[in-house]
Amino acid sequence: MPDQEKKPVDTAAIASMLKKKEPEMKRVLNYCLRCSICAESCFLYMAHDGDPQYMPSYKVINSLGKLYKKKGNVDREFLEGIKGLVWRNCVLCHRCYCPIGIDIPRMIDFTRSICRSEGVYPEQDGGESWL
Amino acid sequence: MSDIYGLVRGPLAVVAILVFVVGIIYQARQFFSLTRERPVVLPPASVLGKVGQSSGPSLNAINNSILGVHPYLTVITSIVHACLVLVPIFLLAHNVLLYESLGFNLFAFPEPVSDAFTLIVILGGVFFFLRRILVRRVRVITTFYDYFILLIVVAPFLTGYLATHQWFDYQTMLIVHILAGEVMLVAIPFTKLKHGLLFFLYRYLMHYEHSLGSGTRVWSYSKLAK
Repeated sequence: MPDQEKKPVDTAAIASMLKKKEPEMKRVLNYCLRCSICAESCFLYMAHDGDPQYMPSYKVINSLGKLYKKKGNVDREFLEGIKGLVWRNCVLCHRCYCPIGIDIPRMIDFTRSICRSEGVYPEQDGGESWL
Repeated sequence: MSDIYGLVRGPLAVVAILVFVVGIIYQARQFFSLTRERPVVLPPASVLGKVGQSSGPSLNAINNSILGVHPYLTVITSIVHACLVLVPIFLLAHNVLLYESLGFNLFAFPEPVSDAFTLIVILGGVFFFLRRILVRRVRVITTFYDYFILLIVVAPFLTGYLATHQWFDYQTMLIVHILAGEVMLVAIPFTKLKHGLLFFLYRYLMHYEHSLGSGTRVWSYSKLAK
């Protein structure tokens, strides 16, 4: 995606996407008790010897949480930075389990949509290895 | 000092209770306003009655549940939460105040029982505090706000225990205790503490993979877009 990489991020478009889902997102992000109980429900967390970066709550807090905190005012580097969290560290298998009922995969899915709208997504051939 | 006591026990207490009740109603109303009933899609009549049949809770399901994965944490957190809710409602001193103010009272725990339950909440607070500091995966997602919330929860119980046993100046400790309780009441609907209410709404009513109840509601995007 050479053209996309050079293109500046459309922060207004991201802010608009965030605004659209704000009531749900705000509740989910403010509601997370950061208890880490969701950790073991992620097979990637278990497969990576308990690396917290694979913990479902960590992925949401450090991707969508940061995007929301910055109100969408992010650059391409930021989106490239969270790309790994929402694609490599999560396969959207929907098996993660929040004791208080946060639908974590929906939040990851939404973060992917934001990244994708700016042309940030894993390359299918070539590019970096996800393993 | 008695003026301050009168203020915190009188008008401030009324304001705190009102904010708590109105806040809880507001949160519940918001939940129902921002979600809608999901149309139920039934399987074809030919297979209806044959799908979704369960042979009851399996050992595998229990092993994969939070209880199975975190047995000690589940037991500790359940007991602490139960004590957290029961102590303020069924404390003898609170019921005496209730009787003096409104002319009725609820059942009250014997004082040694209240003392024990209060200690459980305080020790639970210490446990959760240490867990946030010592367990890496909890530490990496913990913010100052999480410690602050923990303090809001533990403060009324700690000050109440100290006041009951008159370890410091009783009058001062009592005022601090009432204030701490009022702060907690006001904080419940507007901070993470609202999970006391939203837990039931999210886990039982929202449609998602791990719904405990009917799970018939979804977020209403037409309303969210406004």
